[in-house]
Amino acid sequence: MIQATGTVGENDLHAFVDGLLDEGRRAEVEAWLQTNPQDAERVASWSSQNERIREVFARDFVSRGSDAEMLRRNRQSLGSRFTRPAIAAAAALLIFAAGFGSGRLTMATTAPPSGAATASLAQEARSAFLVYTSEVRHPVEVAADQQDHLAAWLGKRLDYRLRLPDLSALGYSLVGGRLLPVGGQPGALLMYQNAGGQRLTIIVGRNAEHRETSFRLDTDGPVRTFYWIDGTIGYAVTGEIPADELRAVADECYRQMEEA
Amino acid sequence: MPHGPDDGAAAASFEEALLALVPGLRRYSRSLTRTDADGEDLLQDCVEAALARRAQWRGANLRSWAFTIMTNLFRNRYRAMMRRPTAAIEEAEQVALADDDGDPLERTRIRAALEALTPDYRTTLMLVVVEGYSYQETADMMRVPIGTVMSRLSRARHQLASRLAQDNIVPLRRSK
Repeated sequence: MIQATGTVGENDLHAFVDGLLDEGRRAEVEAWLQTNPQDAERVASWSSQNERIREVFARDFVSRGSDAEMLRRNRQSLGSRFTRPAIAAAAALLIFAAGFGSGRLTMATTAPPSGAATASLAQEARSAFLVYTSEVRHPVEVAADQQDHLAAWLGKRLDYRLRLPDLSALGYSLVGGRLLPVGGQPGALLMYQNAGGQRLTIIVGRNAEHRETSFRLDTDGPVRTFYWIDGTIGYAVTGEIPADELRAVADECYRQMEEA
Repeated sequence: MPHGPDDGAAAASFEEALLALVPGLRRYSRSLTRTDADGEDLLQDCVEAALARRAQWRGANLRSWAFTIMTNLFRNRYRAMMRRPTAAIEEAEQVALADDDGDPLERTRIRAALEALTPDYRTTLMLVVVEGYSYQETADMMRVPIGTVMSRLSRARHQLASRLAQDNIVPLRRSK
């Protein structure tokens, strides 16, 4: 698809506009555009198109109160694929239910009609991992180049002196972070990435129930989460990497965040 | 560990992850369809299909998997729709539904231009531009060679540009 250095083809112009070129190639295309006004004009036109389209549909990226209900309704229509006893057992396994607060995500699928549904820290961590690490353009709200601001901002929302772990010894560098709800309260997501583009996330959230746990591992397919609770703060490290590698990351986070 | 509870927990976390993907799926469905109602319909069909096909999910990337399901549903639905007479009155409804978020005229203009694209061109453009997928990922999701993605993208952009140029109105940039 990408042509040899020196020439820039239409595919390069598309990839340039869509932010899909690596830095080196990007610079080459930029240089090309300086001397090829017709291509520069196309690029400007397509970029403006992209922005206008994104802006039009941005407002549709919303969750609605009825979404959980929609899932429940649809799964009921599937009949007895998932039986009640299995669901009850699943609910019993959600050990962080009690700790992780009131206003959390309502999971209608496991909820008895009147009862509160639960989403464990590990599940929230996994959902956040799946959603945000697959974002190409906007994986984080605040990027790593504003580390101090990121730590101060998220720390303030969490009411906790947040230290951003340095995972460079393990080959991971900080991509950035964002604010997200954890157990219905403001929480922090930090994202890291290694040279191969493999991403992992760290979630830090408030735990209403004061207690401590050891490290626990939660596995769902290739996605693993190590999580632990330390007093009023819960931590979860999630990645699509082998358990021993993830454990090393969790150990490192624990060590560094304890020092904070 | 006993088999049952494990299945239940997996089902619960799957649905949790799917629920988290709903906003993105909603945006994608809306970017493909003509009206808000059609968008919600497509979204519901997609959620239903994803739940029904949970066993087929190989645990890799749930987002791509769900987006692929919607892509296929849209393609099938569009084919079915072509066999029914369509009402041309819907543009008016869209103006009436205009919201306080953004310029309603701009929305109508972009939407009308997108309506003129063939479904495959539109899908390609939306996966790349709005959803941020790479060309290879888009090719995988649409089950076409990457060259086809590039040519669709190119034609979509050219058609859109000439369509928008006909409007001859420079959109004001909304301040954020």
